[in-house]
Amino acid sequence: MTPSSQLSLEVRREGDAAVVVARGDIDLSTLTQASAALDEARLGAGSLIVDLREVGFMDTSGLRLVIEEQRRAAEGGYRFAVIRGAARVQRLFEIAGLAGDHDLFIEPPADRGGAA
Amino acid sequence: MTAGSEHDRLALLASVNEVTDGRVLLGETVARLLEFVVPAFADVATLDTISPRGELTRIGSRVQGPGREELERGLLHRRPVASAPVGLPRALSSGQGQLIERMAEEHLRAIAADEADYELLRALELRSMVDVPLLARGRIVGALACGVGPSGREYGPEDLRFAEVLSARLALALDNAGLSAAVSGLEQRLEATLTNLAEAVLVRDPAGPLVFANQAAAGLLGLDSVEDVVAASAEQLMELFNVFDERGRKLSLEELPSARAARGMPAQPLLVRNVIRSTGEERWLLHKATPVLDAEGALSMVVSVIEDLTEVKRAELAQRLLAEAGQALSSSLDYEQTLQQVAELTVPGLADWCAVAMRGDERLELVAAAHVDPKQAELGRAVGRDIAAYLGERAATAAVIAHRRARVIAELDDALLSRAGLRGELLKRVNELGLGSLILMPLAAPGQAAIGVLVLAMAQSGRRFDQSDVRLVRELGHRVAIAVENARLYSERSQIATTLQRSLLPPELPDIPGFRLAGSYHAAGEHNDVGGDFYDAFEVPGGWMVVVGDVAGRGAEAAALTSLSRYTLRTAGRLLGDPLAAFQELNAALRERESLSLVSVCCVLLRSEEGDGARADVILAGHPPAFHVRGGTPTPVGVFAPFLGAYELGGWQAMSTELAVADQLVLYTDGVIDTVGEQERFGEERLVATLAEGGEEASAANTVARIERAVKRFALGPQVDDMAIIVVERTGRG
Repeated sequence: MTPSSQLSLEVRREGDAAVVVARGDIDLSTLTQASAALDEARLGAGSLIVDLREVGFMDTSGLRLVIEEQRRAAEGGYRFAVIRGAARVQRLFEIAGLAGDHDLFIEPPADRGGAA
Repeated sequence: MTAGSEHDRLALLASVNEVTDGRVLLGETVARLLEFVVPAFADVATLDTISPRGELTRIGSRVQGPGREELERGLLHRRPVASAPVGLPRALSSGQGQLIERMAEEHLRAIAADEADYELLRALELRSMVDVPLLARGRIVGALACGVGPSGREYGPEDLRFAEVLSARLALALDNAGLSAAVSGLEQRLEATLTNLAEAVLVRDPAGPLVFANQAAAGLLGLDSVEDVVAASAEQLMELFNVFDERGRKLSLEELPSARAARGMPAQPLLVRNVIRSTGEERWLLHKATPVLDAEGALSMVVSVIEDLTEVKRAELAQRLLAEAGQALSSSLDYEQTLQQVAELTVPGLADWCAVAMRGDERLELVAAAHVDPKQAELGRAVGRDIAAYLGERAATAAVIAHRRARVIAELDDALLSRAGLRGELLKRVNELGLGSLILMPLAAPGQAAIGVLVLAMAQSGRRFDQSDVRLVRELGHRVAIAVENARLYSERSQIATTLQRSLLPPELPDIPGFRLAGSYHAAGEHNDVGGDFYDAFEVPGGWMVVVGDVAGRGAEAAALTSLSRYTLRTAGRLLGDPLAAFQELNAALRERESLSLVSVCCVLLRSEEGDGARADVILAGHPPAFHVRGGTPTPVGVFAPFLGAYELGGWQAMSTELAVADQLVLYTDGVIDTVGEQERFGEERLVATLAEGGEEASAANTVARIERAVKRFALGPQVDDMAIIVVERTGRG
């Protein structure tokens, strides 16, 4: 749809935690892809973490995924957290009234560099 | 003591001349020349040529006496040492003949490249040597080396002079032989080239007869042999074909480039469609003709080159037809009009006549027809109707409809027509139209039932359809079927979408006393996707509410949510007069839905105050801030809070701002700030900058227009999200 929309997703397992590292744009055109990666990562994970540091753009469809996952985590008894993205991405969380949600955000582990 | 008598020497020189007269190949000349030199003048002789770059090539050697063959071979492969101070290298470097009257050990050592070479030279048992350069046209072209020994002869200064005379003759002989070899080679090569050329080449005498034709010409003209081609007159050849130009106009012999060139007229290359009358086989030929003038400037012959462009031209036609058909098919939803365009595209490139019939409830109906000859268009339509009716009556059994099987008829004949049960008027009309080769192609998307038939036929051109035509028509049939199906679906869906959208948007913004409203709404996509954005403006107790919202997602689900959101906010707002209460209502309604339903809203409650001022309460739910613009300075308004539908408790808050006269409040959806540009998104910063550009004079309407312009300028590619903008301007006490 959008010529510039590209998203690559990587699912890493660290113990019983699954980390989805997203790189690129999360919008209407890449939504299905992102949703599929979450479905995969969620399987058997005690906690699910989405790393947004390499995301260049996100729109409300991305936020929708986050809110959906929050709801699912509350029902399914696993932990869900997000590693903050760039200012533009974080602005979206701010607009959605989620920037101050301390349960939602997690600091990146020290041993994983920004461009890991 | 000199080698040979005076008489012998004259005879030798004469022989050399003889050799040069004949047209013989270089290798033969060398062998014969050396035969004259050895034994008449020498016991051992070698000939070298020298290239303009100074490279020596030994082209011949001759030895007489025992061990001759081995010695000759050895000498032939010998490469003289360029740096040797005596002998042949010296002759070449100085351009002067060299005489060694008495060969000594030191001479051999100086000449020899190595031990083996030394042994070879020693085996020759040379007593004297002369080495002379061969000079032709002022340039050293080679060298002659002669030696005597076994025969008991010796060379003296006189022998050197003779060798120089001999070498001059030899040089001439070699030069001539080389040149004549090149000349005869050129002729041979030319003939070989013409014969094997892929293009047809015909050479015609101005008086008429063909003097040359190559194999390709025979093949291209569909004749068995080159002799058949040469034997035929131009008129006879022309009789074998129907020749048309690219537009389908029949050409006469006089119009072909070769005929024009023969009359001394300029002859531009001409692309023709050549149909072999006997077989209906079609070829695209590029005719080129060049007049060849003799020394007096009179026409001596006409050379025609005919290139077979059939493959290229057909591929091009096929591609163009499919591309243009695709364009026509996607340009309009009126598929009858579109099919008429497609039918017209097929003539004359693909066929002489084309008809398209579509399946109605019970029968087939002609929806389009085209004929190469406009005068026969009416007849063409009539026959199209006939065939549609004919197939329609047999729809259940006709393979083309029932089994989606293409029918290709190489040539319609009386037997076939009577077997098909054609009689009366129909038969008369079919004959009148002169239909020959015929294709009946089902219009069917892959895996779908046939929705009609595409009929293509040849008439006056006399062509016959071949396999590549059938492939092309099948492809065309697929595309037409898919396009027609899509058009039907599209118009149905589009109707639903338009109806829905109409119900979602207010027909126009109301007049609110004391305010002026301007807005715009752009749905992403053409007609089909009901937008996820909505806006509304309505009166509530104590003031007016203006709402701009965005529903996540697209399509029917989003449309349902949009409708729910808009009407819940309107109803709750009107009843309760409080945006926060309306938000809670909508939040509850959304939470009741099975799947996560998120709506972002920016709601403004407008209330006129004492004097000209007004108060605006802005409440946001998952929505970017509104902007209050005063004197060209935008200020964000609103407290960020969650989407409606996300959580049970939202914590939405109103933020108040005072609107003075000419102040504006700008509401928008994220379609504006998320617009994709070349590098990044439009973003809030650009929106702020755009609002600031308006200065103090801006009205609500031109603020909307300015935002639209800025977004349009910035956007790269098509709009992917809906975009709604509402600007509220305070005009004073209403």
